[in-house]
Amino acid sequence: MSFIGNEEQIRFLQERFKFIYAVLFIGVGILLARMTYLQVINGEQMRQYSEENRIKRVKIPAPRGMVFDRFGKLLVDNRPAFDVQITPQYLKESGKPKEVIEKLSKLIDTPVAEIEKKLLKARTQPAFMPVLIKDNLNRDEVAELETWKLDLPGVQVEMAISRTNTAKDVGTHLYGYIGRVSQTELPILNSTSVRKYDLNDSIGKSGLEKQFEDTLRGVDGSELVEVDALGRSIQSSKNKGRVLIQNQEEPFVPGKNLILSVDQDLQQAAVRGFGDKTGGLIALDPRNGEVLAMVSRPSFDPSEFSRGIDPELWAKLLADENHPLRDKTIQDHYSPGSTFKTITAIAGLEEGVITKDTTFNCSGSITVGNRVVHCWKKGGHGNMNVVSALTQSCDVFFYRVAQKLKSVDDIAKYAFHLGLGAKTGIELAREVPGLIPTEAWKQQRFNVPWSPGETLYVAIGQSFVLTTTIQLANAYASLVNGGTLFKPHVVKGIQNEDGKVIKEFVPQILDKTKLSKSTVELVTEGLWGVVNSPTGSAHGNAIPGMEFAGKTGTVQVIQARADKVYQKCENLRYNQRHHGVFVGYAPIKDPSIVVAVVAEHACSGSHGAAPIAREVIKTYLQKYYPDMYSDKAIAERLAAEKASGRAVKVRAPAPAAGGPEE
Amino acid sequence: MTYSSFETDDLHQGFDPNQHTAYEEEFKWLKWIPLILELVILTIGMINLSSATAVEDKSLGLWKNQAVSIALGAICTLIIMFPHYSFLSRMAYLIYMGNMGLLLAVLAVGKSSLGAKRWISLGGFSLQPSELMKLSMVIFLAKFFENKNTTAGMKIRDLILPTIFVLIPTALIIVQPDLGTAMIIMLVYGSILLFLRIHPRLLILLTIVAAISLPVVYNYGLKPYQRQRIVTFIDPMSDPKGAGYNSIQSMIAVGSGQIWGKGWKKGTQAHLNFLPEHHTDFIFSVFSEEWGFIGCGVLLLCYALFLMSGLSVAYQSNDKFASVLAFGVVSIFFWHVFVNMGMVMGMLPIVGVPLPFMSYGGSALLTAMSGVAILVNIANKKYMF
Repeated sequence: MSFIGNEEQIRFLQERFKFIYAVLFIGVGILLARMTYLQVINGEQMRQYSEENRIKRVKIPAPRGMVFDRFGKLLVDNRPAFDVQITPQYLKESGKPKEVIEKLSKLIDTPVAEIEKKLLKARTQPAFMPVLIKDNLNRDEVAELETWKLDLPGVQVEMAISRTNTAKDVGTHLYGYIGRVSQTELPILNSTSVRKYDLNDSIGKSGLEKQFEDTLRGVDGSELVEVDALGRSIQSSKNKGRVLIQNQEEPFVPGKNLILSVDQDLQQAAVRGFGDKTGGLIALDPRNGEVLAMVSRPSFDPSEFSRGIDPELWAKLLADENHPLRDKTIQDHYSPGSTFKTITAIAGLEEGVITKDTTFNCSGSITVGNRVVHCWKKGGHGNMNVVSALTQSCDVFFYRVAQKLKSVDDIAKYAFHLGLGAKTGIELAREVPGLIPTEAWKQQRFNVPWSPGETLYVAIGQSFVLTTTIQLANAYASLVNGGTLFKPHVVKGIQNEDGKVIKEFVPQILDKTKLSKSTVELVTEGLWGVVNSPTGSAHGNAIPGMEFAGKTGTVQVIQARADKVYQKCENLRYNQRHHGVFVGYAPIKDPSIVVAVVAEHACSGSHGAAPIAREVIKTYLQKYYPDMYSDKAIAERLAAEKASGRAVKVRAPAPAAGGPEE
Repeated sequence: MTYSSFETDDLHQGFDPNQHTAYEEEFKWLKWIPLILELVILTIGMINLSSATAVEDKSLGLWKNQAVSIALGAICTLIIMFPHYSFLSRMAYLIYMGNMGLLLAVLAVGKSSLGAKRWISLGGFSLQPSELMKLSMVIFLAKFFENKNTTAGMKIRDLILPTIFVLIPTALIIVQPDLGTAMIIMLVYGSILLFLRIHPRLLILLTIVAAISLPVVYNYGLKPYQRQRIVTFIDPMSDPKGAGYNSIQSMIAVGSGQIWGKGWKKGTQAHLNFLPEHHTDFIFSVFSEEWGFIGCGVLLLCYALFLMSGLSVAYQSNDKFASVLAFGVVSIFFWHVFVNMGMVMGMLPIVGVPLPFMSYGGSALLTAMSGVAILVNIANKKYMF
């Protein structure tokens, strides 16, 4: 035997092993003795205890916070829903599973095969765990099941909470939906969040439900509950049989409520305006960036999701070519089309390449190099100044402005100041930034220098320009408030369960541009004409006695071949039809609402998008300025105007009591 | 002779490591016994965990994570098993310092769960450095005492330095707080000291000091909930629905298994959620409920054989470092098994100590598997049996 190190020491240590083995045997002996005591000697007693075990700590889920509109109207609520479940073990013990299933099938109007399929699917889980057979039972079904309770051993009705959008599918993209924490999500979630989740806990999956998860989610409580031999609480749905031991009950803390800046009446008006059209609308208060309305169509009812997402429904929503799951106000970008001419006009005026008096002749096209670039109007508009060019949306005028500007960067500068081409920073996820091209961008992206001809297309909002609906609304809001760019926000405050406001969000300013007064006046005059001048591109939308302004845009979805440029849009295939865009605001003087609409494949801004904005603006003015815009007030004012012999269609800032000024 | 000087030639003088006696040849497989028993207990553990994690709460499906941990542990085992164990001696202080760094990192950037801050994130994994510290501590102590002659019994001045080195990480672990691990480290330290021999007079003195300080620590050193655990341990029925609830439910689970058990996945105590932490510290209650006295006996036998095989590695080593190291590793396992089972069976107060190879938890599993790898390494690198 060879030793490493000191032999004497090792020999010494080896001597001590006798003692160590003794300790090991004593330890194991103690454990064995205890096992014998518990399992063999007292086993029967303990088995009986376990069978009689009746006190169990169970979780009381905290209700999620509610969501209210700016006037306190309830938007998202927790409502009770009823499920019917089967406990396989009870069913089996009843000795007549076939009859029970047949009876149940009749009562809840579900085929026997489907019930059996669900039971079969759950056969791997312990037999005493209830299996969900049908959720969202109606009142009659619940009553029937209670009546036939004795004939249905193993069947029970459980109450659950359903997260409900009080207006079904209105505003779902903004409010979002909740789902259940799945087995795959759980470990990932719990490794990042401070407050742990349990399996099947509710969690916000999109929209505000997701962004304000920590606010809306409450703190679950727990209580000791008397249970039956299979571990289910006795008559839990009736709240009876609970062993209430005061100091052992941990109360839950409900989630906090959100107060939004949106107005449910405007949301409804927007949905009315859309009808079955597809697209998005957003209304902002230009004075503080508050979102007054935000809807995306088509939509879906999130209540269907709150208690587990049905894979079939989900697949259907995903496959829908109108993308009901996308929020078209922030998650999709579009060419802004002619609504971008406002920015070109601002750039031209502020950079000094045009003035109030500059006129260009529109003959229907201009020639750049060896290419002919057309105006949308075949015969041309004739002589145009900046106001009439905006009113009639003359392309050639803005081509000429583009030619006069030093580079595309001059347009980009004002676009950036107005918040285009960048995320607005609204408190919602997955906002897309859009794109405002610059010379440097093109060089970097394509490694090709900017060609001056492209600036022409940028000037009318085509080419690379992409904006989101919310950006358009915010840009116009900044224009009409004189250059202040707010960060749009939709959550005004957070309220605790007693209705006390515990946090308020204040408007945040992103940028302040000094636009000269004359620029703002000229541009807004042009925008006034769009709706109110007989030559305006959206004149058909004028509301007598209720003036608003705006700008239309019509965006080609596909690159039209020359021979198809003037083809009637309605004759194209649906998914090749033009998008309609409209951005409007009201009142004319001191505007307090800006509405941007994109109506997909609606063919034109004036007929497709403007009527939707008109509906929202009309609702808004009548609700917020009842003195001025109630039907009665308008009728009186119009009568007075008629009597005084003045034309109605004249430039009129916010109608004062005495009628138009000019 | 110091350890560094024998490295090559001294080791082989007059002894050919490739020439085994017939006796050695025949029982070569015995060197693998700790590893074989580890695999047996791991298999039992996974079967049991798949039942314990079929409960619809936060534990659902976690056995898959455990399978990943086992795979990682297997990689660690291979890495540790093959080089000569002397690399542990060379790296001992470095390992200790590294683990101290991790413990400090927990304080700085650790993740909390249930009020305790014990984990640090490494990519997709959470690491619990306090678990690893048990092994690092043993390696450190083996190295520390390698060249100290303790045959005459250690006096108080011999103990000052190692005690400081043990108390620093223990303090860091206590503030996390992870009392179970801190307790295991102190128990292992005490075991190693007793193994190396403490002078009888000092031993008597220490016993008296401990006896006097116990009530002081109880009254001033423990938090109220910790005192509560001791009260309910002495008399669980004093608060059966409150603090004593876990202890009682756990005892009922064990006892209700009777002789043959209720059967796999049929344990009502676990599956009806009467048992808290049924997949981690109370995993043994799930096992004993479902497999009964027979299953428990087999498991206890496996552990006993495993511990004995580990002790035989320590006994037969011809190197003091290896002997102390192997003994330390075995004592980690012993205290884990004893304290955990004792707690589950209501013999000891409730402390968070996992059952090796059975409880869910990646860091504990990695530590345990690494410990076995060290034992097997030592068994295979010594030149006698």
